[in-house]
Amino acid sequence: MIFAHIFFYVFAIILVASAVMVVTARNPVHSVLFLILCFFNAAGLFLIAGAEFLAFILLIVYVGAVAVLFLFVVMMLDIDFSELRAGVQRYAPIGGVIGAILFLELVLVLGGWKVSPLAAGLRLTPMGYGISNTDAIGRVLYTQYAFLFETASLVLMVAMIGAIVLTHRDRRRSKSQVIAQQNARNPADTLAMIDVAVGAGVKAADIRRPDPALERPGEVVVLPDEETHEPVLVAPEPRSH
Amino acid sequence: MNWIVALPEIVLALSGMAVLIAGVFAPRPGAFQLTSMLALGALLVTAGLVVIAPAGVGYGGLYVADAFSRFVQLLILAGAALAIILSLDFNRQEAELARFEFPVLILFAAVGMMIMVGATNFMTLYLGLELQSLALYVVAAFARDSLRSSEAGLKYFVLGSLASGLLLYGISLTYGFSGSMSFAQVARALLSGTPSVGLVIGMVFVISGLVFKVAAAPFHMWSPDVYEGAPTSVTALLGSAPKVAALALLLRVMMGPYGHLLSQWQLLIEIISIASLVVGALAPILQTSIKRLMAYSSIGHVGYALMGLAAGTQSGTTATLIYLATYLFMTLGSFGVIIAMRRQGRSVETISDLAGLGRNDAGLALAMTIFMLSMAGVPPLSGFFGKLYVFLAAVQSGLWTLAVIGVIASVVGAYYYLRIVKIMYFDAPVRAFDRRSPSLSFVVAASGIVTVFFIIVAGPVTAAAQAAALALLG
Amino acid sequence: MPIGIGQYLVVSAILLVVGIFGIFMNRKNVITILMSIELILLSVNLNLVAFSGALHDLTGQVFTMFVLTVAAAEAAIGLAIVVTYFRNRGSIAVEDVNLMKG
Repeated sequence: MIFAHIFFYVFAIILVASAVMVVTARNPVHSVLFLILCFFNAAGLFLIAGAEFLAFILLIVYVGAVAVLFLFVVMMLDIDFSELRAGVQRYAPIGGVIGAILFLELVLVLGGWKVSPLAAGLRLTPMGYGISNTDAIGRVLYTQYAFLFETASLVLMVAMIGAIVLTHRDRRRSKSQVIAQQNARNPADTLAMIDVAVGAGVKAADIRRPDPALERPGEVVVLPDEETHEPVLVAPEPRSH
Repeated sequence: MNWIVALPEIVLALSGMAVLIAGVFAPRPGAFQLTSMLALGALLVTAGLVVIAPAGVGYGGLYVADAFSRFVQLLILAGAALAIILSLDFNRQEAELARFEFPVLILFAAVGMMIMVGATNFMTLYLGLELQSLALYVVAAFARDSLRSSEAGLKYFVLGSLASGLLLYGISLTYGFSGSMSFAQVARALLSGTPSVGLVIGMVFVISGLVFKVAAAPFHMWSPDVYEGAPTSVTALLGSAPKVAALALLLRVMMGPYGHLLSQWQLLIEIISIASLVVGALAPILQTSIKRLMAYSSIGHVGYALMGLAAGTQSGTTATLIYLATYLFMTLGSFGVIIAMRRQGRSVETISDLAGLGRNDAGLALAMTIFMLSMAGVPPLSGFFGKLYVFLAAVQSGLWTLAVIGVIASVVGAYYYLRIVKIMYFDAPVRAFDRRSPSLSFVVAASGIVTVFFIIVAGPVTAAAQAAALALLG
Repeated sequence: MPIGIGQYLVVSAILLVVGIFGIFMNRKNVITILMSIELILLSVNLNLVAFSGALHDLTGQVFTMFVLTVAAAEAAIGLAIVVTYFRNRGSIAVEDVNLMKG
């Protein structure tokens, strides 16, 4: 029992401290790392409250996916951190006052903590005894709460569509494989047999390297060098013009 | 499990997925056109299903189909369909907007709105609300190469998720202090003895979260920026169906689970309503952008709709529902006119651009006049009936202050609505607008007919709203 | 549950306040605002899990799962909007944009 208390306070203090660091750290990368620390400690608190399954979901989904997503975006965008700090001094007092008022109000709530006397009878899914937490959640999630489960899946799909709509662009330079075109290819379309006189140059025989603008799927074409915009010479596939 | 009660939502969600697949495989230039048409068909079918689907509680008390949800869902579907028709032409003229995902996202937003008005459980409420909000955040930022649109999306997102956070915190306190997420159970927990402070604070958090979503006055900061920055076809959507859905949700939550706390929340709603009325009456006077003016005007309309909620009676609920029905069509019609404001292929958005519309395009000017007069509450038009019912409900509940402020606000508000009429008919004409597309004329004409001839259908609509209010309270 | 519900509520109230404070303090830095929103949702989850333990009712935990799902989706959308905004503007500072005032 005493161990539970010690662990509770350790987790809670680290949780609150790292939450404060999330909002005050100068560097967003540090903020994300503190956010991860927050999630770890919240998972500890979940464990103490008896929600084992959610504790590990929090670690897997949040630390594993959401926090990493944040890191990706922070690293991907080239952000001028000092510019972003400019308003902080100005807004800290307002934020502090609002925070203090809110906190006092919430302390009032905690003082008046009283469960409705009927609460025990109103529960929708009382916990069973003798089955594990994961088992118990699994039993209701796909039966009693199937409607919500499906709605949540719609939410995820909208998020997927949204992320694609907002950020995905058809890159003109990326190539995709079109199998039908590859199969329909004929040696005669791309291959020309030319007699080159001994000693004659490439120009004389009218053999040029493939033009990148005329590329077709399946051809080996190296695109022009990005820096110089100079075409790069590659081992030419012979093509007559 | 009575799954059939959610048949309209299921059909709409499945057809959303089907439309998405059709859009992916459709040939590129026509994909937007095709998915829009399919989406309109899906909305029409769903509206039919809403009418014929059986009423009842389903999914173990998570969802209900009753007269109330039916009334509001039909309004939502009409709003979404008209918004899609408005976007047909507009999106093709703006870069990056005519992508096939646009109607698909509107369909999913409509599913979310339908789920949230049918919620009988805080979990259903939250998931429906988020389905709607996430789709709308994306739609607001849809013009991804436009700074204004992505800024609008960003602001909408940040404030919307803050609102969701507050709402959720309120839900968690309500759950903890009453022991249940179900509306009926929470109401039962409140019946026994004095409510604990925790429940009341939880309720305040829920109210502030929902009021944020409807952009009522103390929480309206995001609304004008988002209205102005988002593409106009998106603004038409944001101003219509989601407002109706969120206000209906507020009705359901306040009259349902928190109904017994009426004495605790009545004053709060009254204050929010008065603040919205004041902002809606005074702020538009200074605006030069017609989209910002519409944003402030819609804040005022939310104030009137909240008046019916503040009454806290069955007639108040009826009044709010009628107000929402009239508001939806007036707003969509005015946005139809705003979308028609285009010169040489570019949309213009200032109020002075309307100058001389009466001579250049008499039909459009007449329609705009009808919408503006209706918003001001001039008698035979639909807006008058909405205002009349909410004033009556407020007076019946003894909220004289609120009713008097409402009347004053509508007199002050009439000033800027009439100013627009004056600009259209008496100011020297600038160049004429581009020819408007038939789809736009259709929406303007349909909304205009509903607004003018509301008096004919006022009887049946009132009866339906009364049945809806009875379903909510009885 | 070995720990009283009161302690959990205090911790979650502090988290909520820190999250709201973070939104007000970092009004320019959208990424930190998104992280503050995550903190608010974490405080809600802590509340729900604690109540669920105290009431011996699974509903709170099931709802926490849905909140986690939605929060992940929300983070994805939020970051996508931030990325488009950054592409258009070259910065993620929100507040100094006065394109839409007046």
